Formats: sequence, structure tokens, C-alpha cells
Amino acid sequence: MAVRVEEQVLPTWKDGAVMRWVTSVDHKKIGLIYIWSAFVFFVGGGSMALAIRLQLAQADQEIATQGSFNALTTMHGTVMVFLFAMPLLAGIGNYLVPLMIGARDMAFPRLNALSLWIYMIGAIVLLGSFGAKGGAAQAGWTAYTPLSGPDYAPELGQDLWILGLHLVGISSLLGSINFLVTIVNMRTQGMSWTRIPLFVWSMVAQSILILLTIPVIAAALLLLLLDRQAGTSFFLPDGGGSAVLYQHLFWFFGHPEVYILVLPAFGIVSEVIPVFARKPIFGYKAVAFSSLGIALISMIVWGHHMFTVGLGDGLNGFFMVATYLVAIPTGIKVLNWTATLWRGNLTFRTPMLFAVGMVALFLIGGLSGVVVANYPVDYQLHDSYYIVAHFHYTIIGGMVLGIFAGLYHWFPKMTGRMYDERLGKWHFWLFTLGFSLTFVPQHMLGLMGMPRRVYTYDREGLFEVYNLVSTIGAWLMALAVLIFIVNVVRSWRSGPRAGSDPWLADTLEWYASSPPAEHNFDSVPYVASHRPLRDLRRRLGGERDG
Amino acid sequence: MSAIAHGDGQRHGDHPPAAHASSRVPPVLVGMYLFIASEAMLFGSFFAAYFFARVSVGAETWPPEPFELPVFLALLNTIILVTSSFTIHWALQSIKRDDRAGLIAGLGLTFLLGLAFLLIQAREYTRLGFSPRDLGFGSTFYGLTGLHGLHVFVGLTLLAIAFVRAVRGHYSARNHQGVELPGIYWHFVDVMWIVVYTTVYVI
Ligand SMILES: [Cu+2]
Repeated sequence: MAVRVEEQVLPTWKDGAVMRWVTSVDHKKIGLIYIWSAFVFFVGGGSMALAIRLQLAQADQEIATQGSFNALTTMHGTVMVFLFAMPLLAGIGNYLVPLMIGARDMAFPRLNALSLWIYMIGAIVLLGSFGAKGGAAQAGWTAYTPLSGPDYAPELGQDLWILGLHLVGISSLLGSINFLVTIVNMRTQGMSWTRIPLFVWSMVAQSILILLTIPVIAAALLLLLLDRQAGTSFFLPDGGGSAVLYQHLFWFFGHPEVYILVLPAFGIVSEVIPVFARKPIFGYKAVAFSSLGIALISMIVWGHHMFTVGLGDGLNGFFMVATYLVAIPTGIKVLNWTATLWRGNLTFRTPMLFAVGMVALFLIGGLSGVVVANYPVDYQLHDSYYIVAHFHYTIIGGMVLGIFAGLYHWFPKMTGRMYDERLGKWHFWLFTLGFSLTFVPQHMLGLMGMPRRVYTYDREGLFEVYNLVSTIGAWLMALAVLIFIVNVVRSWRSGPRAGSDPWLADTLEWYASSPPAEHNFDSVPYVASHRPLRDLRRRLGGERDG
Repeated sequence: MSAIAHGDGQRHGDHPPAAHASSRVPPVLVGMYLFIASEAMLFGSFFAAYFFARVSVGAETWPPEPFELPVFLALLNTIILVTSSFTIHWALQSIKRDDRAGLIAGLGLTFLLGLAFLLIQAREYTRLGFSPRDLGFGSTFYGLTGLHGLHVFVGLTLLAIAFVRAVRGHYSARNHQGVELPGIYWHFVDVMWIVVYTTVYVI
């Protein structure tokens, strides 16, 4: 059989613009699809939050009914955690990790694409819950039994919620294996474990947490599904099951989940601060290993969510002390960031604003957490708005600000263009102002005894004032996000061109062109420290920083 | 796939470590070990459910009256699975010596032993006289043994694929990752069974 080499290659069905993205196994394309779709869910989950705040703006509103309000809080929490936060971090990780370690792609590119599309299907199933007869799941993002069991939530919405979470969980699990193998096996020459960027370290710790805790929530959801559909009684007290068991399994995952979300944000901040302080990070090893320390300790503190269940003073005391322990590695990080800032040559560009804002707001969230980690105090504050305020401080103040820092920081790398600095600063100040207005009053509401997940409250002086302020703050945050969207769309189309290393940063992703070529690098410099590009600049006789 | 090639080159040590091969263990093996760590956590959750039920039902004897478990049939199954760990090991050792007949025989035997295990378990299920709906006891018994049975089924599927590929001559002394992977998984399934057996049937 003769083969004619010069024969023209005809375009296949894969060559259209859309199909090139859908069938892509390139980590950068997959990363961007993750980021885009997660952001769409951020807007969706945010809209639910706005609806919640509208209902609570004044007492006795009738925007939502009791049932639809429960569905709103349930889906807001679930969408934000599982469809926005985790996939967005997976997207940033996907884009950056191979570049940062000088690799061509992830270790398993096709598995990577599979994770992405399982997530998409899971998202559709989960949101399909809204279309189910009887409406979306209403049992809260925690889905405690027996509330989520067959007796109190017989509708299909709860089952779709469970199945959707299963799929999204499998996606994260496969992703975490992929990240770990990539980092173990694909590092470029010279890049030993103490020379990988701190963001990559944070992805190591996060992936370990996903790997070890997602199976536990998967088990809890599977058994819950069996209780609902197959007549078993794992969690149903009437049949000799235990509702407390569900809480143990859920929170064994649920607490580490906070760190699954926040650790990569810590990683981002650890990359951004040294660049804009023109100093090396203070205590590289301490920052790197405290990520692992947080990950490990976070797996033995879940009981602090269950202080009011009646575990007894012995267990409550244990979980209280263990929870205090988390403050040590977290404090180490805060100290190291502060020390990096100390006497640095600071420039407050947008990424830096978000990074420093993150350190400040997460610190407040951490401290309000130390307060409720004390179980007698928690008896009083459990399931009140104080808790809502506390965890939004850790998740928005910690993770979301960190994510924005990262998106601005790597925007020139991902798009090849520079964002608009003025809009970026407006975004930061409006967002943090709105955030504080929303959640500072909620601490007070909680201390006054307002329970979470209620759709209305008494007409009584301060209750009404605090709630109204909180609602106004929420809409300010929405306005800030709108500014962000305008900034991204405008800058992506017509922002000024950014070179490969606009920030004079030190890590390998800035060695690739902006945006990087399909194959990432033509060559990678030998890595002799955790700041390979600084080394390169010095060898070439350039600047003398740090 | 190029990643696998790097891994092989590493293991046989005929050239210095290539770029992007920062570990001695090939990527797919690292991936498999990580996956097994997550599987262990999955089993751990089911064990937690089992012990919770055992404590919270508060029966004086376990299994609670009037239920009974066929301890000796399960012992037979244990012997079958432990034997299959040796046969899969034999299959892997054979192909490392380029002995394809040994590989095929080893894989075939392992598959048959695994199948026998599943059939005996199915038979056991039909004769137990209680169902997953029978209190926390029934739920957790079927939960734990069923989860394990499901893993045996997945293991058998992997073994079947490896067997077909072995017959078609895909493996050699240099290239046998397709046998090694299901082998690791199978050993895990076996070890897990010993723990399940001890927990559910013995203590
Ligand atoms: Cu917690």
C-alpha cells in the first residue's frame, strides 16, 4: 500500500473552535474551562445569596416562602462550595501547577479532561434538583438526617442533590490524584521538594485532604441514598441506625473542606506577597510545611461542629484543644507573611491589595473561630448567625479574596494582556466594604440570638437594622463583582499587551510566554533555588533585589 | 503515555533521569497507590458505620438474636481469596521472566478464584435469612460485605482485561504495567477482605 505523504489533511469534526476546547486535554484549556464555568456558578450562587438577603432585608417579607427559602440556603451553600470554590481552585491549579514545575502538562491529561466533564455532568444533575417535583433539596448543605431522610424529604430533589455531589466528588478525587502524581513525577531538573513554589506546596496539602476526606462524604451520601431508596437504616434511629453517625462522617469531610478551599488561597497569597514586596518569602520551609501541618490537624477536629450533640465533656474537650492547635500552623503563616511585608519595597497593585486584605480578613475569621472552638461558648452560639458570619469570614475573607488576588496576578499570564488597575482597585475597595457591611452585623445578630436558616424574624429594633445593613452590603459586593466582570471582559479584548514576566516574579510560569504556547516551554532553566527566575536575572547581570 | 515510557526508562536504569521524571516510581503506580489510600478511607467509613450500629443497637450478643452468620462458608471464601493473592503474584513473577504461559495461567487462575468468591457470596446472601432492611445489623452487614463484593467485581473486570491482553501477547519482561496495576488492586481487595472477615464474622 502506497502512502502519499503530501496528501492534504482534511479538517475533522474536532477542528471547530468549540470542539477544540471541548476535546482538549491541554491543562491550560481545561484550567480555563474550570475557571469560567466555576465563575458562572459563583454568579448563580451569589444570586441565591442576594435573594436570601432580600427576603431578610426586613421582617415578614414574602419574597420567598419557608420552603423555597430553605431550598435557597441549601443550594446557595452547595453551589458555592462544590460548583464554585472547589472547581475554581482546580482550574487555577490546573493552569499553574504544570507551568510552575516546568512540565509539559499534567501527568494524566485525559484523566484530567474526564474530571472536568464529570464535574459538568455533576453540576447539571445537582442544579436539576431545582426542576424536580417538590423543588430543590431543602435539608441544608449539611443534609443532616433525619431531615434529609425518607420521612422528611421524600422528594426527588434531595436524591438529585446526592447524585450531583457524588459526581462532583469523584471529579475532585480524580483531580487530586492527578495533581499529586504530577507534582511527584513531573518536576523539572533540579526542582527538589524544597524548591517547588509555595502555591504548589499548598496544592500538595489540598490534594492530600481531598484524597482522604472525599471518600468519607461519598460513603455518607451513598448510605443516605440507600436509607432513602433501599429501606436500609444506617442513619435512621427507628431502625437502629444513628443520626449522629451521619454528622461524624459529614464533618470528618466538612471541616477539612474548609482547608481544601483555603489552603490554595494561602498558596496564592504566598506567591503574591513576595513579588509585590520585592523580597523572598520569609521562612519558605515554615510556610510550606505549615500547609501540611494544617492539613493533618484539620482531620482530627471535626467534632467542634457537634458540640451540642452530646458527645460528653471528654470528647468535647479533646476537639476543643485539637481545634486550638490549628491556630499554631495558621499563625505561623500569618507571621511569615507579615515578616515578608516588613521593610519590603511595597507596591499596592490590585493583586497585592487582595492578598493583604485576605490576610487581615482571614485573621478575623480565624479569631472568631477560636471563640466558638470553646465548647461552652459554642453552646450559646451554635447554629446562630454568629456561625454564619464566622465561616463567611474564613471562606470569603480567606478563599475568595485569595482567588481574586490570584486571578489578577496571573491575568497577564493567562491572557497576555494587562487588566485595568483603576477598575481593579474599585473592585477591591467596594468588595471589602460590602463584605464588612454584610458580615460584621451578622456577628451581632448571632450574639442577639438570631438562628441561621430562618426565613423571617421579629420586628424588633436592632434585628431590623442589622439585617438591613447586611442586605445593603450584599448588594455592594454584587456591584463589585460586576466591576470585576467588566474589567475582565474589557481587558481580555483590548488591554495593553503584557510581556512574559510583567511583575518581575521569580517562579517558572513567568518564563513561558504570555499566554504560554501549547507545549508550555521550549526549554526550562535548571532550577537551583525556589526563585529560578531571580537566579536567571542575576546570572544575566540584571537587577539586584532581595 | 510518554509518562509511562519515562517511568520504564527509570526503572531499568539505562539512561540518566529524563526531564520531568522526578520520581523513581512510574506515574501510574503512584496514581494507583494514591487511589488505594482513598479506597482505604472509603472502607474506613463503612467500618465506622458498622461499629456505630454494633454499639448503638446495644444487643448482648452479636449478631443479635435470632440472626446467625455462616462463619465457615466465609472462612472458605477467605482461603480462596488469600490463595488468589499468591496466583496473581505468580502471574507477575512469570512475566518478569518473560514466561507468558505462566502469566496467562496465573491470571486465569486468579480470575476463577475471584469468581468463585463472588458466587459463594451470592449464594450466602440468598440463604442468610435477613435483609439490608433488618435493623442496623442487616444494613451494616450488607453494607460492608457488599462494598467489598463490589470491589471484587471491579477487580475481576480489571483481571479480565489483563487476561485478554496477555493472551494477545501485549506483555513482556520489559512491559508489564498492565499486569502490575490490577495486581496491586487485587492485593488490596484481598487484604480488605481479611479485615472485613475478622470484623464481621470473627469478633
Ligand atoms: Cu470546622
